Amino acid sequence: MELTLAQGIVKAAALLGAGMCMGMGALGPGVGEGFVAGKACEGIARSPENASLITRTMLVGQAVSESTGIYSLVIALLLIFST
Amino acid sequence: MAKKKGSILKIFIIFAIIEIALVIISGSFNKQLQIGFNNGKFVFKHIKSHYDLQEKITEEFQIDEHFRKTGETPEIYGSNQVYEFFKEIFGEASAVGTFQLLRMMLIVDLLLLFIALIIKKQLLKRPSQPQILFEMVYSALEQFVIETLGKEKLNFTPYIVTLFLFIWISNMIGMIPIPGFMEPTRNLNVPLGLGILAVAIVHITALKVKGVWGHLQNYLNPIKNPLALLDIISEFSKVVSISFRLFGNVLGGAIIITVVSSLVSYVVFPVGLNLFFGMFVGTIQAFVFTMLALTYIGVEISE
Repeated sequence: MELTLAQGIVKAAALLGAGMCMGMGALGPGVGEGFVAGKACEGIARSPENASLITRTMLVGQAVSESTGIYSLVIALLLIFST
Repeated sequence: MAKKKGSILKIFIIFAIIEIALVIISGSFNKQLQIGFNNGKFVFKHIKSHYDLQEKITEEFQIDEHFRKTGETPEIYGSNQVYEFFKEIFGEASAVGTFQLLRMMLIVDLLLLFIALIIKKQLLKRPSQPQILFEMVYSALEQFVIETLGKEKLNFTPYIVTLFLFIWISNMIGMIPIPGFMEPTRNLNVPLGLGILAVAIVHITALKVKGVWGHLQNYLNPIKNPLALLDIISEFSKVVSISFRLFGNVLGGAIIITVVSSLVSYVVFPVGLNLFFGMFVGTIQAFVFTMLALTYIGVEISE
């Protein structure tokens, strides 16, 4: 399909914004999940008998802290597909 | 040792032969091979892949948008009368997506009913294998309910188990390679409905436990709770966060699988990605959704 100049600019800006949104939005969850995993390692080293409970709590906590990254993914998908 | 090595070599040779045969069968690169069940018939044919990746993703994820753009007539599964009925209510464009979603949800519900009937039919003192499996799931979730809500609130266990099994089967069913099969949770409407249901159950429980005024004064009485307005907003954000988390995880995994399948020209089925995004993330997200619903109930009750 043929795009006019204005439509092309809007499309390009939306794609650029989606890339920036995904890149910046992945920073926070990455730092947070690494922090949680490190703390869980410390906890398991301190009390190895609680390893299964700590691992389960760690996975749930990581999935919750991942949600900001998921929101940015949803926004990026909206930017790509709905403009 | 030598025998083990020989058997590994045999397996490797078998896999290599299968892969070479698949590559030969799949033909040239601008065509794609379709194997599977479509419209009740077994399909094995080459079709020309005439669209690029973005059109493919649009066809997969925004079916009504795809049909509106291309002007094709959608394939009708099942009865024609039901399709006409939905078309009259929702209009031409959105009938397709809605109908496909409803069909997948019906399949998930039938699976749940089927499992329940099988388990119920042979309840034994000395349990059979499926009974052991489902008793394990049930008792594990029951343990969570006891830890969060206390022993006297055990009547929440059926809701929690049903929520977990529904979301889990919904996430798993997308891995079956039949055209038209998709996760019901890939559409935003399903997680949003589940989230609204969970928050509604939280408030109904709180009304029952604390009484009508005892619960409503948290939101209406500015002397008891100075931040009442923020609390009202946070109730809505609960729904948004719990449902968008599930929706985004499932949709993101599905899009990554589609993109990788397109990169290898639909020759190889990306098993590792399906294992990670289908099984691991699906199980974790079902568990997280259930745990968060349980935690919301626990916070309201324990105050």
